[in-house]
Amino acid sequence: MTNRMSNSHIAYLLLRTSLRHWRHSWLSYLTLVGIIALGVGAFNGIRQASRAAAANFGLFNEAVSGKSDFILQGIAGQPLSHKQLHSLVPLTHMQDWHLLPVIEGNATYVHPESSDLIPLQIIGLDLIALGNLPLFNELGLSFSSSQSTDSDKWYQWLQADSGIWVTHALYQRLQYQSGQQLPLMAGGTLQSMRIAGQLGDANSDLPDDLIIADIRTVQNFLGREQAFDRIEILLADRSLAADPKAFKVFEQRLRQQLPSGVELQAATDRLANRASMTAAFRLNLSILSLIALLVGAYLILQALDASIVRRREELATLRSLGVGAGTLFAMAMLESGLMGLLGSFLGLGLGQLLASVAVHGLSDTINTLYFATAAQAIELQGSDVWIALSLGLGFSLMAGLLPARDAMLTPPAQILARGDWSPGFTWLRSARFSLSLFGLGLLCLLLPPLQIEGGAKMALGGFLAAGLWISSLALLSGQFLVLLARTMQKLASHPVWRMAMSRLADGSSRHRLALAGLVVAVGMVTGMLQLVGSFRGTIQNWFEVRFEADLYISERGAQGAGSNSGIRPEVLQAIESLPELEFADTLHMARVQAPLGVTQLIGADFFFWQHQKSQIWLQAPGRLVPVAGAQPALVSESFARRFDCLQGGVIALQTASGSQKITAIGIFADYGSEFGSVVIDLPVWKTWTLQDRALNTSLYLKPGLDSRLLRDRLRLQFPALDIRNNHELRAYALSIFEQTFQVTRALNVIGLFVACVGLLLGLIALFEECQMTWRTLAFIGFSRREIIWVGALEGAVLSLVAWLSGTILGLLLGWLLLACINVQSFGWTLIWHLPAWQLLLFGLGLILMGLACGLVAALRVSKRLEV
Amino acid sequence: MINCYKYLWLFGVLCCWIPVTLIALEWIQPPLKTDEGYPVPQPDIQPQLPSAHGAHPAYAIEWWYWVGHLHTLDEKREFGFQGTVFRSAGAPEQAVQASEDSFGLNQLYLVHLGLSDFANNRYLHSERAYRSGWQVQCSEAQLDIKIGTISAKQVAEDGSFELKLCYPNQMHLHLHCQPVKPLINFGERGLSRKGRDPSSVSLYWTYTRLKITGTWFDGQQSQAVEGLAWMDHEISSSQLGSDLAGWDWTAIQLDDGRELKAYRLRKNDGDSDPWSAVYWIDPDGSHRSVYADQFEWQSLAHWTSPKTGVRYPNSVLITANDPATKQRQQYRLVPRMLQQEFIGNATDNPYWEGACWVYNEAGARIGKAYLELAGYGGDIGKLIH
Repeated sequence: MTNRMSNSHIAYLLLRTSLRHWRHSWLSYLTLVGIIALGVGAFNGIRQASRAAAANFGLFNEAVSGKSDFILQGIAGQPLSHKQLHSLVPLTHMQDWHLLPVIEGNATYVHPESSDLIPLQIIGLDLIALGNLPLFNELGLSFSSSQSTDSDKWYQWLQADSGIWVTHALYQRLQYQSGQQLPLMAGGTLQSMRIAGQLGDANSDLPDDLIIADIRTVQNFLGREQAFDRIEILLADRSLAADPKAFKVFEQRLRQQLPSGVELQAATDRLANRASMTAAFRLNLSILSLIALLVGAYLILQALDASIVRRREELATLRSLGVGAGTLFAMAMLESGLMGLLGSFLGLGLGQLLASVAVHGLSDTINTLYFATAAQAIELQGSDVWIALSLGLGFSLMAGLLPARDAMLTPPAQILARGDWSPGFTWLRSARFSLSLFGLGLLCLLLPPLQIEGGAKMALGGFLAAGLWISSLALLSGQFLVLLARTMQKLASHPVWRMAMSRLADGSSRHRLALAGLVVAVGMVTGMLQLVGSFRGTIQNWFEVRFEADLYISERGAQGAGSNSGIRPEVLQAIESLPELEFADTLHMARVQAPLGVTQLIGADFFFWQHQKSQIWLQAPGRLVPVAGAQPALVSESFARRFDCLQGGVIALQTASGSQKITAIGIFADYGSEFGSVVIDLPVWKTWTLQDRALNTSLYLKPGLDSRLLRDRLRLQFPALDIRNNHELRAYALSIFEQTFQVTRALNVIGLFVACVGLLLGLIALFEECQMTWRTLAFIGFSRREIIWVGALEGAVLSLVAWLSGTILGLLLGWLLLACINVQSFGWTLIWHLPAWQLLLFGLGLILMGLACGLVAALRVSKRLEV
Repeated sequence: MINCYKYLWLFGVLCCWIPVTLIALEWIQPPLKTDEGYPVPQPDIQPQLPSAHGAHPAYAIEWWYWVGHLHTLDEKREFGFQGTVFRSAGAPEQAVQASEDSFGLNQLYLVHLGLSDFANNRYLHSERAYRSGWQVQCSEAQLDIKIGTISAKQVAEDGSFELKLCYPNQMHLHLHCQPVKPLINFGERGLSRKGRDPSSVSLYWTYTRLKITGTWFDGQQSQAVEGLAWMDHEISSSQLGSDLAGWDWTAIQLDDGRELKAYRLRKNDGDSDPWSAVYWIDPDGSHRSVYADQFEWQSLAHWTSPKTGVRYPNSVLITANDPATKQRQQYRLVPRMLQQEFIGNATDNPYWEGACWVYNEAGARIGKAYLELAGYGGDIGKLIH
């Protein structure tokens, strides 16, 4: 009978029972769908936001020139010289492509009234070559039309050295008129640039921070005469550009004509390269959001379970009427699947919303830590839809399994009528199983880190161990609950207390399930609190040691890894010749290619760094044996771990002047970049990189001088420089640190919120299921208040156990994050820091919250009792 | 008496020709400089090779122009080609300064390349703009140009030069161009007038018949080609009268060894400018001309471009009194392919430039031509000025 009626009956029952429940408890179901949407949205949102935030990778000119197909740069992405440009002339004799030399940099606009700094991107292009590109003409852009204030004669608008074109959006944002002078800072100088015209109109989709000018103008503006960053190559036939076979042929042809010292890269490879640079960053974010989703799945499980419990009598009646267990199982699964589907679609929208909120924060983080990027519009791709559906449906069905099994096992009404009934999940009670999971986690720690493209590493073993330990501790917490409740039972004799403890000492599966979810959330929060706390503590300690100079000077406005302007040589010379100075520690930085990825090559006063500069040394200079024939270098811990030279050795670096060898003679702590840094003597650096631009300088004043007085004087003298004393710099660096952990914090809040709602739902289900118990209690004289207090106490003790177990789990996770995941992923050794007060306060809050949840749940149940 | 009649005839001819000659000889002295300060070509300049075909950077405008008709030696494939390098000077004081800048401001170059592949009914064309600097090599000493996709270099004292035109997918023409006739210096006292504006004159030097041998590389294999080509080199500082809307121009190479150059300067009101002209070049290089009122330029058929919607009168009949034979001659130009429209980067001013067959009054094919129809997609005069 069951088999014959299954299909039609599933539909019928769903309509008659489930949908009726949906209609009656629409708010609960809506919340549930919302929770699925939240989980899916968080994962997808972070995915979309990090994709959009890192999408442009510095190719800001694409807005006007179109998507490039290839990029020509010096070795390891170094700028090209004019000499190299002339060696590329044979490439210009082909009609199959367009060559577009580009120089780009950061410019900062200072708002005249508010003094706010607005970071802008200034792009120098060969404006004549730009006119050859199809997109420029399709967009209807022009430098000489009526949009420009300059004459239509090409040489008149092209030769105006300070002429810049701003996009319509920027034009509107700054409220400047054509012909007006725009004060802009770059390279430590303040310059006045004339707005020659605007590009595009209100309908143009051009960024609101983009300035375009002729390549000569930008070279002068940035003080980088005779240099430019790259040549972009755009294939003339766009249909061939989309054909992988033809694309390969073009690549081969280009390579055949490439002079030495110039590297060709397909734009998509560059994209992949940059993507690999942020791979570890994005992976960690994804894992964090997956954990949030896992907690979300737990919540779905709790909620569906609560729904099944509420309908227990109805299900039992159906069973009495002959409805098969399989039909009830299918009905419950269909219900959770439907919720998953609805939640997934809602999650898509929510993800879009979250992404649009998070994108600028992520973009700022990527700018600060990795490379210059501009956030592009959030884009929903096909893969996002599939991922959302898979996650939403997958997790819902997974979460629905236990409640569906529960529904399937519901006995007929006659049996149910005899008293409380719960299906019981016996495997939740197995301590051996839990301990095995823990042991397996320990074994996973033996796994080596996974090598990601671009030289990054992923702590695979660490993440697996984290997953296994979370499961293990979540299950073990049930044992702990029973143990604690039995102990606490003896502490007081009040019936309410004894009743609550006795229920907990029973250690029902449902108690254990509610507890497990909370333990996971608490563990996650505790682990993250430790990570953030340890990071902050380590960095503060590092700042104390590192920031010992009196004044720190860098280019104003343009901060971050993508900043490439630095300080103009003439400005630096003026600073270095100050009579108040005892010493200036000036840093020059260039990116170079190491065997497994890009790293930073720093040129500095090597003697000072070796003997006088305060550092946190992992290996003090002299403890590693230098290798003859290679340049002695001090390397950061990230570099040493990434390129496997913790015990010294030789590493070959591809620089603008060819392959060069360094040998590590000391290893210092550096939390500024996960790509690692190599410090060599400045004269050698200049020979290797063929550059001469300083990134920043730290000033050590003569004894007895007031650094604040000099700082104020220098600020007046060099308004385009960022001048801070060490206190100000520490505060600023900490603010950057806080910015990078914003996402982690947001995920913590989401995880905790979901866990709390889960606890509430879990307790409701628990109390609903014990109707008979409550009735008995009422019958034997328990007042409603006492019954409510039983519930409240249950909630509070559950939270206490969750806090204790979660803290143990959190400590383990914290250790994993600090000692394994961070070291393997980023190469940073962090000093463990336990934010004890934070954890205590968190525990207190959690117990109160548990108490409140118990109160609410018990109150809800007690309303139906005739006490 | 017979002699008397003879002289009477001569008198009659003279009577007829005096007004024509008067118009032809009406001399407008060009100023030394334009209002902007560029030098204006002066009369009686004789082109001195090799420097004549080098660049003249002080003048505002200059172009080198090559068109021709080619066929492979097995005659299975035929091509028409066009290659033009336009030079536009920067500010007068800057244009003549030597500059080592990679991104210079002295000169701007525009390269137009067209290829009519008749066997495949395919027309390839491209426009690229370059500024003086790293991508541009343009000698003043002789014909030695290497700009983007075109290069031309004199290789012998007789004026022979190598011309290389590059098309997509590695296709290119590598041609050896051998002048068959001496360099023609067009215009009264060596000045070709393009309107009443005193400064609307140019130095206009042409090889009307170049013997071509070379190779066609289709991206995979080479084939030897041969044929005939035409080269113009024009230098000016104010090329077109301000009241002109465009021009129709043709270079005809007749099978009998003569060439004909005809152009109609179209005014904004639709009339032909009086300085429109027809030139005949004899096999020995001698040439003569008539002006607007001595020839007719009729449109026989139009073609509307499916891409730009511009309507071109690309089938024409030129009727003129040949001063040598004293006979009225008809030259009917029929395009060998309709789609030979050149669309630049900015699509606001396309033009039609294509290879044509030339037929006489009796319908016999008597030669080949290149026909240029400019200004039908917009007011080219306005654009230039």
